[in-house]
Amino acid sequence: MATAFPPVTRYELKLAAPLAGFYLVFFVGPLVLLTIVSFYTDTKMTAFGLTQYARFLLDPFSLAVLASTLWLGLKVTLLCLLLGYPLAFVITRSPNWLQGLLIIVVILPLLTSVVVRTFAWIVILGRQGIVNSTLMALGLADTPLRLLYTESGVVVALAQVQMPLMVLPLITAISRIDPNLQDASSALGAGAWRTFFRVTLPLSLPGIVAGSLLTFAAAITAFITQSLVGGGQMLFMPMYLYQQASTLNNWPFAAAIAIIFLIAVLGCVTIFNQLGRLSRGYAQV
Amino acid sequence: MMQPQRPDPGHVSFRLVMGLLAALAILLLVLPSFVVIVVSFTSSYSLRFPPPGYSMRWYAALGDAWQLQFAAWNSFSVALWTTGLSVLLGVAAALAIARSTSLKAKVLDSLFMSPLVLPALAFGLSVLMLFSLAGVPISPLTLIIGHVIVCVPYVIRTTVAALAQLDTVLLESSASLGASRWYSFRRVTLPLIRPGILAGAFLAFMSSFDNVPVSLFLRDARTDMLPIRMWQDLEGKLDVTIAAASGVIIALTVTALIIMERTSGLSRRIR
Amino acid sequence: MLDRRQMMMTALTLGALHAFPGISRAQARRLVFATFTGSWEEAHRDVLVPAYRKMTNNADIALDPMLSVDQIAKVTAARANPPIDVMLHDPGPALVAIGQDLVEPYPVAQSAYYKDLISDAQVETGPAPFFQVVGITYNPDKIKTPPTSWKDIWDPKYKGRVGITNLNSTLGTGWLVEIARMHGGSEKDVSAGFKALEDLKPNLGAVAANPGQLATLYQQGQIDIGPGNFNAIQILKARGVPVEFVAPKEGAIAFKTTIHIVKNTPNKELAFKLIEAALSPEVQGKLMESPYLIVPTNTKVKMGGEVAKALAKDHADMKKKFVFQDWVEINKQRSAWIEKFNREIKI
Repeated sequence: MATAFPPVTRYELKLAAPLAGFYLVFFVGPLVLLTIVSFYTDTKMTAFGLTQYARFLLDPFSLAVLASTLWLGLKVTLLCLLLGYPLAFVITRSPNWLQGLLIIVVILPLLTSVVVRTFAWIVILGRQGIVNSTLMALGLADTPLRLLYTESGVVVALAQVQMPLMVLPLITAISRIDPNLQDASSALGAGAWRTFFRVTLPLSLPGIVAGSLLTFAAAITAFITQSLVGGGQMLFMPMYLYQQASTLNNWPFAAAIAIIFLIAVLGCVTIFNQLGRLSRGYAQV
Repeated sequence: MMQPQRPDPGHVSFRLVMGLLAALAILLLVLPSFVVIVVSFTSSYSLRFPPPGYSMRWYAALGDAWQLQFAAWNSFSVALWTTGLSVLLGVAAALAIARSTSLKAKVLDSLFMSPLVLPALAFGLSVLMLFSLAGVPISPLTLIIGHVIVCVPYVIRTTVAALAQLDTVLLESSASLGASRWYSFRRVTLPLIRPGILAGAFLAFMSSFDNVPVSLFLRDARTDMLPIRMWQDLEGKLDVTIAAASGVIIALTVTALIIMERTSGLSRRIR
Repeated sequence: MLDRRQMMMTALTLGALHAFPGISRAQARRLVFATFTGSWEEAHRDVLVPAYRKMTNNADIALDPMLSVDQIAKVTAARANPPIDVMLHDPGPALVAIGQDLVEPYPVAQSAYYKDLISDAQVETGPAPFFQVVGITYNPDKIKTPPTSWKDIWDPKYKGRVGITNLNSTLGTGWLVEIARMHGGSEKDVSAGFKALEDLKPNLGAVAANPGQLATLYQQGQIDIGPGNFNAIQILKARGVPVEFVAPKEGAIAFKTTIHIVKNTPNKELAFKLIEAALSPEVQGKLMESPYLIVPTNTKVKMGGEVAKALAKDHADMKKKFVFQDWVEINKQRSAWIEKFNREIKI
């Protein structure tokens, strides 16, 4: 009797055709075009060659920009992990009414415009901003410190902007851990710290990897925050790309930068995904 | 029988450290919005915190800010169209790939989600190149097309999640009672996944409204977008009107968030 | 039978159609005027735009503030359908724009005000609506004795408090040439200038993206001294921000700024009206007064008030007191200098 009706819970793959077509023309197409343009040797786009890639990969300045961008992403991810994990942990242990409220507090920055959030950091880190006013009021500093236009300022601002991306997957992962395991651990005599490091942390590893992946990817492409808080002379890949494409109209070089950036991000994503796969095996009890 | 637990000094220190770090995280998350709102009520021209005095003048100044209003209206209408298109294309795609184990479905899933991971700035530039080399002028339509690519993954993700939670028994019983596929979809599936679709639509709308990387390349002064306008204003002058505009945006976002939470349980769907 | 849901859907669709930018309103294409950032945008928004609206029966306009070099980039990227209708250019980029055939010659015969401009401002490719002056700007609250020379900026007591712009602006490039000249160089060779910038690094507190942003750094108390544009700080001064302008003894840099109709713009009529408004004695007179203090070019506007006191009594006086640079020579190497600056100068 089961074969009398067509499967009701499956829909034909054809339903995805419109979107697939749309993606083909407006997503895959442009990316292919980007790759082709990156192989032009001059801005008038007459000849092909590897000039643009050589120009980037053999240039210590450009490589430094790429390296500092990836390094920035790493620092931001670690800071988010350090602060975001305890937050996620506390949220999962909170009573229901508090949980809903805290999750809204976490989601809100994600939905607020990035310009608004970054603008706030200009006010916070500026010479007349909160941090300096507090430090001077407490007597910890005589003259205002320069916090704006420093890399630490960018790291902290980015950590706030991207923290929800770390916290949300962590909440999911930590809440999936069987509470019996933690009870068993303390029943066997392990202290709170030991239980945390031997049971909770390893079991939440998939969440850590997922959150880190999202945070890292978002931090390195955060154009607005990097440029407003870092200032014009602190160059990262997004601004480098924008300068070449928009101000200098050098599309082939900009395309090469974009492709190299894409490959770098994909490489990091793959590393994270591999770690995720390993951790999932490790986390299965 | 459980042994009586030994007193654990680590227990207290653990809770203290976790609590402290969590509180720091909350402070970090909330501080910027709080600062922006307080500063937006300043009576002076500077962004000093705490403000020397308080007044509503900058909110009043928003009434004269015709450039910001123009950009806000553009962002709003582009976001509306983007969301509509994303829902149409995204829900159809989600229906096709949800709960499917075929390789084709998995490949499509990765393809549809990839804009979320790849740097949107590179994508924005590539779309600009496509339109420019094809001779298509910059217009709201090109903006919408670019936005749809980066916003439709949100719709797909929440709709697929909602479909995954759907109890197939309901559909099977509907079919066994003689309902056509379209009828089952309209009367059974759609109402059940509607909160998921709404959550996805909400995320797509906010994502389009706040979008910077794609708008940066695809916008010009005639199709000005609010985040880009605000960023350029911040780069060129320190107009406190921006603080007032930010205050309005934060207030609207909080309101929208609370409404979505009440109607679709957004917080559960966003993980 | 129409039910509530269907009515709502229809209403939403109609509303959305109306919301589609451009689809249901057959409005004339909005004029886009690329002005400069900061005080310039505010001055034009407050004085020029209302005058333009009066002249054109309330036509729409959009101000897109950006540096001259960015304007050129945007127009060359889309020549056939330019995103900008009216450009504002400093001497260096103006030469580039004219050389690359991006501008439409100004219809002098139809202009009411062109003949009233001083001779230097009468340029057929695009007349000059104002002059700009670059000197030293500083915070008088923090720096009690006004600086007198460019060299004062290198004083070690200003460690971390100096602000400059990058070379994308005329302010940045012009200043670099002057510094090079101070050390024996010229528009042809600025290596001495780059060396001086290296020596300035301990003092550097910020490198701004454009003069507008540089002025805001005074507003936030982020910097206290540096090269600055006379007009960029005037509006801030009027609002109570402690910032002052002083011409260095080596001579302040002056240059004229020209306004152009972009070639291939479909809005030629409106562009012409905007430029006419910018050249008119009413607009120039208003812009000369506080708080804008913009140097006029229309002879019917007598240079008076603050402008005459702070800068020069009239245009002949200006020619004598200030330094005018050779932008033909500068343009030859400018992109190389910009790249060198971006690589080497970091704070």
